[in-house]
Amino acid sequence: MIANEATTKRGKPQTKHSFYPAWCKRCGNCVAFCPVGILVSDEWGYPRQVDKERCTGCGLCEMLCPDFAITVGYEKPGAVDLAHPASALDSPEVTQEKSDAAKAASNISPERLAPVPREEK
Amino acid sequence: MTAVHRSVVYDWLRHDKKFPHVWCPGCGLGILLGSLVRSLAQGGYDKNQVVLVSGIGCSGRLPVYVDVGSVHTTHGRALTFATGIKLAKPELKVIVVMGDGDATAIGGNHLIHAARRNLDLTAIIVNNLTYGMTGGQYSPTTPLGAKATTAPYGHSEPSFDISALTVTAGASFVARSTVYHVTQLDQMLGQAIAKKGFGVVEVLSPCHTNYGRQNRLGSQVEMMKGYKKQAVRVDRWEKMSPADREDRFPIGVLADHERPTFLETYQGAVDRAQAIRKEG
Ligand SMILES: Cc1ncc(C[n+]2csc(CCOP(=O)(O)OP(=O)(O)O)c2C)c(N)n1
Ligand code: SF4
Ligand code: SF4
Ligand code: SF4
Ligand SMILES: [Mg+2]
Repeated sequence: MIANEATTKRGKPQTKHSFYPAWCKRCGNCVAFCPVGILVSDEWGYPRQVDKERCTGCGLCEMLCPDFAITVGYEKPGAVDLAHPASALDSPEVTQEKSDAAKAASNISPERLAPVPREEK
Repeated sequence: MTAVHRSVVYDWLRHDKKFPHVWCPGCGLGILLGSLVRSLAQGGYDKNQVVLVSGIGCSGRLPVYVDVGSVHTTHGRALTFATGIKLAKPELKVIVVMGDGDATAIGGNHLIHAARRNLDLTAIIVNNLTYGMTGGQYSPTTPLGAKATTAPYGHSEPSFDISALTVTAGASFVARSTVYHVTQLDQMLGQAIAKKGFGVVEVLSPCHTNYGRQNRLGSQVEMMKGYKKQAVRVDRWEKMSPADREDRFPIGVLADHERPTFLETYQGAVDRAQAIRKEG
């Protein structure tokens, strides 16, 4: 079994979902296939979790994301929460292009936009 | 078995490659990539123990992103390279990733003979019903009547059933799944990798950019909803009438049996030859 740290025994969500905008291609899989329909596309096409309490922690949004842009229950320090407020990603620097210059200009640091490998064990 | 968290994927990606990866937004190949890495981590394999071999095509790009030994070979010849690697170093887990064109057109002969020999390899065949990388020409799995850039009025050949073909050719393990059925896909891959002998997993994956567009199937979301409708668990499939089977396909484990592997039968020949030399 793949451990699902996101839920308690009663199926309650415990940990936030991390979202990595720089890897997201705005394909809509996560939004289309969340079984409880709590993911919506924002005006840029990025997913946003709107009703966190109803999340079952099933992990489908993570597994059906072809681009590894979501992790459920693995909190990368400083990562963008999938339940981010609409304003968190609406700067054109972040949403339109991911060039280094744009990243540097945006107020979200580049490390927050992409997952990085954890320390080698 | 150890329980690993899904985010283990990040530990197995080659972060020095350019991400996001090259595939189209929504392409099923990324889902398969995650599934494969999870099943390897879940199976407790060490990165140094695993070799990924691929041919050419969108599917052929997959091993490039995984932090294990990988060989990106020529179109249709992935199985031949993999055969050499396995025979030289039988202790390695050799996993081959091929497209439907790679595996059943240019590489079709290698596929049936690898299955017949039952060499201890895992073949993951990404069936998107088309030549994705080169723009949507028909492949041996393109359905009769479907449109392709090389069949603008509809394809005039019936298609290969990859799973049935490899079952008949003698593979020890054959399973079919889709990228939509991702939790099942994790399991099927894990089983195929653990299996001694030739293991095949046929993975239905949407190529909305080429196949989907030409056949007006909509986005990858629509195509994956199609898999959800069309795929039937194999136990239920067996009880279905031919009429009910129309436009559907079975998913699950289609063959799982023990048969001597090529390494074993080859060792038999080595032993016999050595015995004769000793006597002489
Ligand atoms: C020997 C050779 N012949 C033809 C090609 C051109 N070619 C590249 S990819 C491909 C087919 C890809 O289809 P498939 O194997 O199904 O992979 P997909 O892109 O659909 O994943 C072809 C014909 C080639 N690279 N090498
Ligand atoms: S884990 Fe993801 S797919 Fe599952 S309910 Fe929560 S938001 Fe939806
Ligand atoms: S599935 Fe992944 S890439 Fe697609 S919209 Fe959701 S987070 Fe972005
Ligand atoms: S062309 Fe098709 S198979 Fe290739 S990346 Fe795009 S959607 Fe995927
Ligand atoms: Mg193909």
